[in-house]
Amino acid sequence: MTTSKKTITRDEWEKRLNDVKIRKEDMNKLVMNFLVTEGYVEAAEKFRMESGTEPDIDLATISERMAVKKAVQCGNVEDAIEKVNDLNPEILDTNPQLFFHLQQQRLIELIRNGKIEEALEFAQEELAPRGEENQSFLEELERTVSLLAFEDVSNCPVGELLDISQRLKTASEVNAAILTSQSHEKDPKLPSLLKMLLWAQNQLDEKFDYPRINDLSSATLEDPAV
Amino acid sequence: MPSATAVNKHRPSELLSRLASDDPEVKVRALREVKNQIIGNPTKKLSFLKLGAVPAVAGILADSIDEVTNNNNCNSNTSNILVQSAAALGSFACGFDAGVQAVLDAGAFPNLLRLLANPNEKVADAGARALRMIYQSKLAPKYDFLQQKNMEFLISLLNSEKENVSGLGASIITRSCETSLEQKALFDAGILRKLNSLLGGGSLSQRDASLESLATIFRNNPEVISKFAGPEIGRPLSSIIDLVKDRHPRTRLLACMCLIVIRNASPHFLQDIGIKSKIIHILLELLDDPSQVGDEAPFAFSSLIAQKEDLQKLALEANAIDKLYHHLKKGSLHPRRYEGILLALADMCSKLESCRSKFLSLQVLNLVADALTDHNAGVRTAACVCLKNVTRSIKNLSAGYFMNEIIVIPLVQLFPDPSTSVQGFRWQEKSERPDTFPLLDAVAALGAVSNIMVDFTTRKSIFVQCGGMKQLVQLAKSMESAVRSNALWALKNFVFQADNRLKEGVFSELTASLLSSLISDPEPSVQEQALALVRNLVDGCINLIELVFAEDGLILGAIGRQLQCASKAEIGIQGMYALCNVASGNEFHKEAVIQQLFTQMGDKNQSFVIKFLQSNDCQLRTATVWTIVNLTCPSSPGAPGRLEKLRNAGIISQIKNMVNDPCVDVKLRVRTVLGQSMAFGDN
Repeated sequence: MTTSKKTITRDEWEKRLNDVKIRKEDMNKLVMNFLVTEGYVEAAEKFRMESGTEPDIDLATISERMAVKKAVQCGNVEDAIEKVNDLNPEILDTNPQLFFHLQQQRLIELIRNGKIEEALEFAQEELAPRGEENQSFLEELERTVSLLAFEDVSNCPVGELLDISQRLKTASEVNAAILTSQSHEKDPKLPSLLKMLLWAQNQLDEKFDYPRINDLSSATLEDPAV
Repeated sequence: MPSATAVNKHRPSELLSRLASDDPEVKVRALREVKNQIIGNPTKKLSFLKLGAVPAVAGILADSIDEVTNNNNCNSNTSNILVQSAAALGSFACGFDAGVQAVLDAGAFPNLLRLLANPNEKVADAGARALRMIYQSKLAPKYDFLQQKNMEFLISLLNSEKENVSGLGASIITRSCETSLEQKALFDAGILRKLNSLLGGGSLSQRDASLESLATIFRNNPEVISKFAGPEIGRPLSSIIDLVKDRHPRTRLLACMCLIVIRNASPHFLQDIGIKSKIIHILLELLDDPSQVGDEAPFAFSSLIAQKEDLQKLALEANAIDKLYHHLKKGSLHPRRYEGILLALADMCSKLESCRSKFLSLQVLNLVADALTDHNAGVRTAACVCLKNVTRSIKNLSAGYFMNEIIVIPLVQLFPDPSTSVQGFRWQEKSERPDTFPLLDAVAALGAVSNIMVDFTTRKSIFVQCGGMKQLVQLAKSMESAVRSNALWALKNFVFQADNRLKEGVFSELTASLLSSLISDPEPSVQEQALALVRNLVDGCINLIELVFAEDGLILGAIGRQLQCASKAEIGIQGMYALCNVASGNEFHKEAVIQQLFTQMGDKNQSFVIKFLQSNDCQLRTATVWTIVNLTCPSSPGAPGRLEKLRNAGIISQIKNMVNDPCVDVKLRVRTVLGQSMAFGDN
């Protein structure tokens, strides 16, 4: 037995939407928060000039953070490590998981560049001791080293480690750690708001038919089925 | 192809030689490389340490500071050197005690302090950070708060806008403030007000650091707490209470810990049941946190509920045991977290039967038994403490719930090697728990076993079969007195109402000479347990009374001698009950007992009997009167003779004075004695 849902027409819905007042300053803050957290320095600068919105962290520190992120994304992990340590030596000293992932990325880059001997030496000297201390590190180390066992790395079970997405994952981890050390939220607020929107719609779906947003990028209202 | 890899270029010894270069640019680069190699890498820290890197870097720091002082200026090269050397030293000290020690030994501490005054922000910051790392370690130098100069310096640190500098101030307080005098001095200097303001207006790390410092200043000091919270109108302590709901897990944990410190020192604060429930709820929720915060949460929970029945009840209603069980079930726990959860369960079950029932109904016992064989010693000890507390449940002991292989065998395996010397035992660090005492792994296992030994069913033979009984006897010979007394305790419980065969088995393993020497042991606690063991051995069966006569009455003699010089009431109680049980036997037994009561007198006029009868301890009086009852029992032919002896020693008149003894048990037995004495004609 299906319970019948009430229907809200588009007119009704739009009227309700129009009644909701949102301040421009709040919207600007959300945008600035996004730009700053994600590290778009120039955009943040411009936006500040145009809207008069003040960023909640010093834009200068953003450049440093972005330099680190970029270095990882380009595969220059050693450079990234040096930069993080210049920025704040505590981050890697108090974050064994992050440090391990950066070292792991270095190993991946050595393997990618065909420097096999160097890779093995690096794994033995730098990573093996970490693996001894921690079971999950050991497992990840073994996965990474196993890349060397395959002729065709692009098709092997651990091939994803060589993918650009791995670099992005590591870069994101470093970015978050730097933000946290600066007492800043590591996630921008906009994605959370969108998640709440989707959740709210799902809740409402149980009781009503109403004009939904199905495509977040266009945000068009789609009429309820009649 | 030459194998000059990137790794080879930076061999530690090669780097260190570059540190000694005269060229400042080479020096800076070498410092930076050392720093980058050691950060995050404990293995590298150790290997550089062994090569003498720390004194080398400390030396560079010292030279550069001298240069700055002498030239009264700091150029960019020198600044770089200062920053990099401070950062390197800070990293050596970060989470690495050997590094902290090396930095201190190299004399770097005063130089790092001087960096704080450097006009270059980066230099001052690097110095502050390095010092903060040092102050996170127990090896940090003790800060003398009571000196005016030092207090002023501390205040200047806390007033700084820079996070690392104010953080250093807070770390110093958290590490070094120990006595109530120091706590008061900090209060008088206005430090608490400053810390309180950081709770509201500071950054995340400043808030967290302040919470830790406040807790340190409040610890065990109700006066400071009331001075701090008293004048507040409206909601006292609101600044801390609000942080309990902060979005950051670490802040929530630290705020809870601060409130717990306050409550433990001054119970009249935070009486509100709402706040108590809130803290319990938040701590249980923090168990979900995967980081160190979740590891520490159960310890905070323990410090809240330990020894406090009302809070244990509240926690039970909040489903604490279910939640702790849920996390225990997950498995693959970090050892610290594992230990914490087990200790939290132990505290929950320490007093309330309702908690123990809940524990047993959820089948947590099997998981705790698993923990007995964990490779981490702290986990094993925590499991033992948990078992010890759960087995206080008489209801379940009498149902024979615990005497089974799953529990007994791992416990016996935890018994230490009797030949282990004192150094071999591991002492646990004092924690925040109010009922804290240093635990020996062995004692913990023995404690758990002791309770299980009080098994009212007939399955005690399991313990003999797995060799546990023999091991206990061996442990009774240990060099460590705590082990001896706890082993005897377990044996005492083991033979309690056990069948004759079991008792005889224990006795033959122990031997009369060992038992009598234990009765005369230098340690009172050992004497007490040995006497109690004899009491239980001879209780209930006339055949077993013969045991005290073995080898020329070794044991009986030992009992008599020990009673003569009993240093505390408990020893007298157990000894008298032992004699009482012997005196419940036949004529020969009774004669032997009365001999003991008198032959030990020596040049003393008064038998210890009178001393015991006049004791403040009701149990001691009871035990003594009971013994007299047995000695003067009318059905025995020798009763009149013994009665005469007692009368002559003034014991009967002493007993006459006790007809209105406040203790009912004593009063009734006194009447029995007097009734029995009248049967032979009183005077």
